[in-house]
Amino acid sequence: MKQVLEGSQAVAEAVRLAGVQVVSAYPITPQTHIVEILSDYCATGKMNAKFLRVESEHSCMAALIGAQSAGVRTFTATSGQGLALMHELLHWASGARLPIVMAEVNRALAPGWNIWVDQTDTLAQRDTGWIQFYCEDSQEVIDTTLQAYKLAESVALPVMVVLDAFFLSHTYEPVDVPSQEEVDRFLPPYEARFELDTKNPCSFGPLVPPAVYMEMRHDMAAAMDTALATFPVIEDEFAALFGRRYGAVEAIACDDAEIVFVTSGTITSTARLVLENLRGRGEKLGIAKIKLFRPFPVDEVRKALKGAKKIAVIDRNFSFGASGIFAQEIRAALCNAPDHAPVFGYIAGIGGRDVTPEVLEEIYWKTKHNALPERESVWIGLQEVSHGS
Amino acid sequence: MAEKAQARAESESPIHIMPRSTLSTEANKTGSWRYLRPRYEEKTAPCSAACPAGEDIGKIEMLTAQGLFKEAWETILRENPLPGICGRVCFHPCEGACNRGEFDDPIAIHSLERFLADTAERYDLKPLLERLPGRPEKVAIAGAGPAGLAAAWFLTQLGYACDVFEASPEAGGILRWGIPLYRLPLAALQREIAQVEAQGVRIHTGRPVTPDFLNDLETSYHAVYLACGHGRTTALRVSGEESDGVGDGLKFLEKVRNGETPDVKGVSAVIGGGNTAVDVARSIVRLGGEALILYRRRRQDMPAFGDEVQMALDEGVKLQELVAPERIGKDGSRTLVTLRHMRIAGEEGGRGRIEPDGDRTSRIVVDRLFKATGAEAAEGWHNPPASKEALALSHCVLSLRNGRPALAWGGDLANGIKSVAHAIASGKQAAIALDTLFREGPDSILPRLESCTVGNGPSLSMEIHMGGERRLRNRHVVAYGEINTDYFRYAPRMTQPRLVRQERARSFAEIDLRVSGNIAMREAERCFNCGLCNQCDNCHLFCPDMSVIHDQSAQGRHIDYDYCKGCGLCVVECPRNAMTLEEEIR
Repeated sequence: MKQVLEGSQAVAEAVRLAGVQVVSAYPITPQTHIVEILSDYCATGKMNAKFLRVESEHSCMAALIGAQSAGVRTFTATSGQGLALMHELLHWASGARLPIVMAEVNRALAPGWNIWVDQTDTLAQRDTGWIQFYCEDSQEVIDTTLQAYKLAESVALPVMVVLDAFFLSHTYEPVDVPSQEEVDRFLPPYEARFELDTKNPCSFGPLVPPAVYMEMRHDMAAAMDTALATFPVIEDEFAALFGRRYGAVEAIACDDAEIVFVTSGTITSTARLVLENLRGRGEKLGIAKIKLFRPFPVDEVRKALKGAKKIAVIDRNFSFGASGIFAQEIRAALCNAPDHAPVFGYIAGIGGRDVTPEVLEEIYWKTKHNALPERESVWIGLQEVSHGS
Repeated sequence: MAEKAQARAESESPIHIMPRSTLSTEANKTGSWRYLRPRYEEKTAPCSAACPAGEDIGKIEMLTAQGLFKEAWETILRENPLPGICGRVCFHPCEGACNRGEFDDPIAIHSLERFLADTAERYDLKPLLERLPGRPEKVAIAGAGPAGLAAAWFLTQLGYACDVFEASPEAGGILRWGIPLYRLPLAALQREIAQVEAQGVRIHTGRPVTPDFLNDLETSYHAVYLACGHGRTTALRVSGEESDGVGDGLKFLEKVRNGETPDVKGVSAVIGGGNTAVDVARSIVRLGGEALILYRRRRQDMPAFGDEVQMALDEGVKLQELVAPERIGKDGSRTLVTLRHMRIAGEEGGRGRIEPDGDRTSRIVVDRLFKATGAEAAEGWHNPPASKEALALSHCVLSLRNGRPALAWGGDLANGIKSVAHAIASGKQAAIALDTLFREGPDSILPRLESCTVGNGPSLSMEIHMGGERRLRNRHVVAYGEINTDYFRYAPRMTQPRLVRQERARSFAEIDLRVSGNIAMREAERCFNCGLCNQCDNCHLFCPDMSVIHDQSAQGRHIDYDYCKGCGLCVVECPRNAMTLEEEIR
């Protein structure tokens, strides 16, 4: 049924439909709407779930690790500083092979204190062993959250579903909300591969010697590879039921494109408009939208960028001392591919600044007019900063 | 199809190793990380240290709050045989020391003490107290006032046979003859004297102790405790004080307590600023006269209880400050008093120091005058010797004469402060000292008294002397800052119900009325129970290591040091400082 929903509401509806049994969260803008709705659902019985209030995000993830270890489906949502505080336990959740699903609403890290969108918070967690999806709109949010449970539980790894602050979390759009029966057909009840059992008591996470630890990590690496292979199968199942498919990478008009934008999140929507405009003027622009960031879909990226003459990666994030993080990943994916195009890195929209069609066109022309990238990263739209009083 | 993808993914991402342990995590004895060690250690409440009788007030209020009135009453009796009397007439220094006073208002300790005595009376309760096995020594006591009664009570508990010899036809001393009925009704006094007698104390009335009789006593008793009190009013040392218009305040009170109604028509002047002066003045008002208190210092310097002074003024008593009688004469049939005016010239001992205000004098004519400036021993030989052989303790003087029975002076004869509570303290100190003398010899007396001290002294505890649980407490007196006041709510102090002023001035009926059990329990609940565990269980609730384990011990719980990491949460969250955190000694 079509409903007009915020991105936050779309997450909450997916969590309800997924039959999550334990929700825990600590409030932080801009994810607050998500857990507000879920706490209401738990309180009113609309969800048959326990809502655990905690004193910090660190405790929140610890609580979910405990709950998921006991064999139930769990959920949390956080943003920015909250995710940073969870960091230690993000490693624990994946190392313990717990398919926890989290919605992460990208928020810039302080200082300066900023509640607006910036991907650095989630990208800084890329090595924690969590699968990461970046969403473009509210429909993708609800669909990805449902897929996330299926993927997480298939490979026994946790998943982050990432939304842009405000541009997605607080924007209303028409969303097709599936019925419970449809969701139940797609997502079977959670069956843990191993769980705590009072009849047969044990504890997880004891000391592991060098002789074993490396193999445990190799299992995780293999599970990430499996996730990459399984995601398209899950998408097939999803598409068969709901008629929608996204792809780990969506290649938009890349076949004949000379310049291809690499985008993620809501910037993709703006890029689609720019693409239409520029194509109308004879410019051959394509877009490679990265939805799945971990595991990184190297083959699909190479395929999408194969025919491009130049690649322009637009990063709403930055790794200080290096470059935009998506640009790093793209370069890493291409460096061993033969005859790949040069990669231009652009930094835009940091800390919630709007990335307008004009910004993207500027990136297009800069890329077109330079044979090779001048620098690793070009910051777009920087203002003159006065240092006077 | 749905199951297929999942099955495939699971087979393609096998988890070869998921380490788990079936050992209990109890194998990891995290107590070894500890460098601070919490433990249960009860401490001393400031009220109990301030009480001359060393009553265990924090525990008394805890039991009262729990509705365990008999146990609370017995807890008083272990340290003070006269709660119904002290609940009425004690000047309650405990309330001045109460930590709750810094929070809102002190606990109404004296009202609760009286409530417990009233409850015991109402249900005719008989105390169940520990008594040591009988001893061969016998003790004679001169005077059945509060000091003599207390000494007899405690010595009986300690196993000694006691005989009390009282000069008057009835026991009670100052309580019987010197305190008006509106403050201490006869029934309240008689009940507690009877309770002392019920313990086996023999009181022989109409038997004044003379020097000859004292010699007789020394032949048949192993010790004599002299507590004949200060029964004679101190002379004013002004000319004319022997004239017939001048009366003795204590004698006047005695007459009234004897049922007589002396003529007090017209205006009576009362010289003095202590409780006796106020009692005389208020009795005069009740008998239909007018009373004028003449005091050489100011109202705030009066040794009488402030509350009593206020009530006296409310009842119509007049007060003239900063005047001292210089000469007493006659003006026809009336009495002429020449007053020297005084002025304040600084402070001494917390009250005003006075000096004559130049040559200023004035004269007043009254119908009679009462002396109530203080009292002294009725006979000079009652006073303790100043010789070096006598052992001067805080509340009594002990003479240990080789080969002869021990002689002890107590009560007003030996106390700096002449109060009922100090008299009881004296009786207790004498009992402990004599018991120690008989059991262990003279050298043990001082160490024994030191070990029985409550807080920083000089109050003593009979329970400690008799080996009760109170001896396990730390003598540290809990300060207000050591209470976790987050756990207490502001609550107003109970209001003592009283007769209204018009009713008071017409009769000798008791002014302070009884309070109900629920008011008493609510008041007792206000008590911080400083330093005492009231089983609130916060330590258990807050322990993050589940290392506070409930058990059947008196404490009700213990700390499992195998796992206690010494975080100190239990100690911080103990509302009443009944726990201690110390450095771990390894």
